[in-house]
Amino acid sequence: MKVLKVAIEKCISCGACEEKCSTLYKKENSKDKSCIHINPRNGGRLINVCNQCGRCIDVCQTQALKRDASGIVRIDPKRCVGCLICVGFCPTYSMRQHDDYLVPFKCISCGQCVKVCEQGALVL
Amino acid sequence: MQIEKMLSEHKLLKEFKYDLKPIEKGYSNRTLYINLSDNTIESKPVTQFMKDKFVGGKGFGLYKLWNAVKPDTKWDDPENEIIMAPGPVCGITQYPGSGKTLVVSISPLTDQVIDSNVGGYVGPFIKFSGWDAVEIQGKAERDVIVIIDGNDGTVRIEEAPLEAIDGHVLGEQLTEMYAKDEDDRRNIAVVTAGTAAENTLIGLLNFTFFDTRRKKARLKQAGRGGIGTVFRNKNVKGVVVRFAGTNGNMNNVDDISPINAAGIRIHKQIDKLDDQQCRMRQIGTANIVEVMDAYDLLPTHNYQYGSHKDTVKINSHTFIKNYLKQNTPDGCWYGCSLSCAKAADDFVLESGPYKGDKVLVDGPEYETAAGCGSNIGLFDAHAILELNFYCDTYGIDTISFGTLTAFLMECYERGIINKEITGGLELTFGNKWAAYDLIHQMSRGEGFGKIAGQGIKRMKVLFAEQYGADINFLNDIGMEQKGLEYSEYMSKESLAQQGGYGLTNKGPQHDEAWLIFMDMVNNQIPTFEDKAEALHYFPMFRTWFGLCGFCKLPWNDTTPESNATADEPAKMPEHVQNYINIFNGVTGLNIDGTELIRQSERVYNFQRIFNIRLGKGLRVHDATPYRSAGPVTKEEYLSREERYDGQLVELIGLDPTSMSLEEKIAETRKYRENQYEMLTDAVYKRRGWTMNGVPTIEKLKDLGIDLPELLEVVKKHL
Amino acid sequence: MIKVNNNDFPFEEELSISDILKAKKYMDHMIIVKVNDLFIRKEDYPTKRIKDGDDVKVIHLFGGG
Repeated sequence: MKVLKVAIEKCISCGACEEKCSTLYKKENSKDKSCIHINPRNGGRLINVCNQCGRCIDVCQTQALKRDASGIVRIDPKRCVGCLICVGFCPTYSMRQHDDYLVPFKCISCGQCVKVCEQGALVL
Repeated sequence: MQIEKMLSEHKLLKEFKYDLKPIEKGYSNRTLYINLSDNTIESKPVTQFMKDKFVGGKGFGLYKLWNAVKPDTKWDDPENEIIMAPGPVCGITQYPGSGKTLVVSISPLTDQVIDSNVGGYVGPFIKFSGWDAVEIQGKAERDVIVIIDGNDGTVRIEEAPLEAIDGHVLGEQLTEMYAKDEDDRRNIAVVTAGTAAENTLIGLLNFTFFDTRRKKARLKQAGRGGIGTVFRNKNVKGVVVRFAGTNGNMNNVDDISPINAAGIRIHKQIDKLDDQQCRMRQIGTANIVEVMDAYDLLPTHNYQYGSHKDTVKINSHTFIKNYLKQNTPDGCWYGCSLSCAKAADDFVLESGPYKGDKVLVDGPEYETAAGCGSNIGLFDAHAILELNFYCDTYGIDTISFGTLTAFLMECYERGIINKEITGGLELTFGNKWAAYDLIHQMSRGEGFGKIAGQGIKRMKVLFAEQYGADINFLNDIGMEQKGLEYSEYMSKESLAQQGGYGLTNKGPQHDEAWLIFMDMVNNQIPTFEDKAEALHYFPMFRTWFGLCGFCKLPWNDTTPESNATADEPAKMPEHVQNYINIFNGVTGLNIDGTELIRQSERVYNFQRIFNIRLGKGLRVHDATPYRSAGPVTKEEYLSREERYDGQLVELIGLDPTSMSLEEKIAETRKYRENQYEMLTDAVYKRRGWTMNGVPTIEKLKDLGIDLPELLEVVKKHL
Repeated sequence: MIKVNNNDFPFEEELSISDILKAKKYMDHMIIVKVNDLFIRKEDYPTKRIKDGDDVKVIHLFGGG
C-alpha cells in the first residue's frame, strides 16, 4: 500500500502541496480544502496527512469507509450520512471537514502533491 | 412464514398520496392525521403559532392531543390519539443523540397525559418523509399496519392478518417486507408493540433501527405509560416508515457551521474521555449499576434497601465479559458517538414460546438491570437479559414490570398474597421462574400475570378489597404515583429526588430531574430554595430535549474538560451552549439560555393544565408513597439505624436512646412527610403556581400562553 | 475540623484527598475536587495535604439516568 510519507526536515512550508490538492479535488486554492496540511509550529511546521490507519473504518456507522484494492481508505459518498464521527475520532486529526461539504474528505495517496513538491519532502 | 404469503393477505383500506417537499430549517410544516375508524388520512398545516408556543416534538404532540380529546376522554376511547413527533432538530447527523422522537397519548395507567422519548430511525424518517408529527386516532376493525413511504409520497392503511405481533419478529418481518433489497433494509424503520401490550396496561412501543453489521432490526423503546396498550387497543400491529437518501443536511438548516463545530468538538471529547468517564461506548447506561450499589442507592427488594452483596453478579463488568461481546458500540441514530445501545448476541432463551432460540437482546439498560434485577432480588445476568428480551418483544415496559413485580414479591413474602391467589406462582425475591411465568402469562393474557399487568395502583385496590389487605401499608410500599410505577432510583434519602419524582407532570419518571448526587452526595442544594431552584431549572431544561428531538445522555453522560472550572458544573454549561448553537443553527432563530427555559416552561405549564382538565394535575396528585421518602418497616429503619438515629438528633432534636423503634419510625416519618410538603410549597412558588399546583394567570401571561382555553381551566381552581 | 461538601469532617495530620475519598467511600472517577475553591488535579489526590479548617468540595459529575 502506498501511503504518503513526509520528510519534514525538507519542507519549506511553500504550500504548493496544499494548493495542488485543494485545487484538484475542490476546485479552489484553499488550505482548508486540502487533504494535506502544513501547520506552522514554533517557527517550523508539522505536516498532517492521513496515514491510512483505518480507525475511521471501525467507527463509521454506515460502512461508508472501506479500503480499496490498494489498501487505501476511501469514503463512499453515497453511504456517508455526514455524521463526522470519523473526523472526531481520527487519531491523527487527518480526516478533513469543511462546512461547504456534507461529506468529509481525506488523502487517498494519489501522489499529485508529490509531483509539485520541489524540495522532495513528500514521497509515496 | 414467507413474506410473500403475508403480503398476499394484505387488504388495502386507504392510500393517500402527497407531494414531497424539502424540509425548511427543521420543519416540514405539516402533520399527518390518520383516523383508523373511517380510514381518513389528511395533511394538516403547522402554524406559526404552533412553532412559537410549542416548538415541536412533545409540544406539538400535546397541542394536537389537547385539540383531539375532551376533558372526559379515556385512554381506550377512539378519540384518544397516539402522536409521534420528531422536533425541529431531529434528524441532524452531526451531534450525538439527535434522532429522538416524542410519543404522546392518554395513558391507561395514569388516565392523564403520558409523554415518552424514544430513539431509533422512526422519528427522523417520519420527518424526512415530510411530517412534523403523525397523529393516529380512532380504532381499526381488524389488525392493520400503516405504511409511510417518504420517497414515493404515499401513506397506506392495510389490513395485515398474518404478521406476528411480538416486536422482535414483526420488526424483522416488516423490515424485510418493505425493503426494496437487502441494502435498503437500513432505510426501513418500524413501530411495534407486542402480545403482552394487549393484555396489560403497561404496553410500550418499540422503534427499530436496522443494524447493518449484524443485519438485524434493533429495538429502542417508548417505554413509559402504556402507549403500546393504546396502540394494540386501536388494532394497530405496526407502523412502517421508509426513507432512502439520508444525508448530512436533511433539515436544510439555516447555518450548518455551528452544528458541525459542536459535533466535531463533542466527538473528540467522547473519543478522548468516555473510557475514563461513564464508559457509554463500552456498556451504555448499565455502567451505573455498581456505582449506585457503592452509594447505597441501588433499588433492592422493592426499594427497601440500597445495596446487596451479590450486585457484582449483575454489574457492568459481568455483562461485558459474558454477554456483550461484539465490542462495537451502536448509536440509535446516525452521528451518535456516545453509542449507548448494547446488544447480547446469540442469547439462548431458557423459557417461554421462543425457548431455545438464539436471539439478539437489546440491553441491558440500567433501568432493566435494576428493575428486573436488584429490585426483584434477581442477581442473575442471564435472567435479567431474558426478562429484558421478553419485555421488548411482548411490548411491555421493563421499569413498570420490574417495579410491580418487586411490589408483588414483597406482598408475597409478607403474606399479603399467597400461592392460592397467585395461581401457584411463588413470587419470592429472586425467583426467576416465577418472574418468567408472570411475563409469559401477560403475553397470553391469563392467570395472575393478567392481574399483575394492571399495574400497582389497581392491584392495591384489588388486594385491599378482595383479600383484606391493609390499604395503608400497600400505599406505603406500592411504588407508584399518579398510577405510573417508579423508575429505578432510591429517592429515600434525597428530598430533592422525592420532588424530582413526585412533582412531575407524567408520574415518577426521572427524565424531568435526576438530583440524587447533587443533593445527597455533593450537598449542593441544601436549602428549600436551592432545591426548588433545581426542581425548576432541571425539569425545564431536560424537558426541552423533548421539544427538539434530542437525547439527554450526551448532555451529562459525557463531561467536557471545561467543566472542571465551570461555575455550575451540574448544568454542563459547554453542552448547554452546544444545544443553543445547534438549535439556532437549524432553525435560524436566536434563542439563548433564558429563552430555552421559557420554551420549555410554556409546554410544561400547558401539560400541567392538560392534566388538570382531565381531572388530575393538582397538589393531591403530587403526594408520594412513603417508601419513596423514608423507612416504612422496622427492617428498613434498622438497616440504616445509625444514619436515621443521627438525623433524629441533628435534624429533629430528639433523643433516640429514649425512644422505641416504633416511635423513632413514626417521628422520622412525620418529619419527612412535612419536609416534602414544605418542598412542594417552595417548588410550586418557584414555578409560578398556586399552593394547589395550578399555574397562575400571571405566569401564563408572562409566558405568553394566556390562551382562553387554558384560562378557562385554571380559573376554576383559582 | 474541615468541611467536606459542607459537612464537618474530622481533621488529622497528613490527611490527603485520597484519604478523604476512601473514608467517605467516594469513587475516584467522574469527580472534581476543589480545596478552598482551587481545583485539584487527579494526579495530586494522594499527595495534596489538607490543612485544618480547609473547605473541600468533592463534586460528583454524575448525571445519572
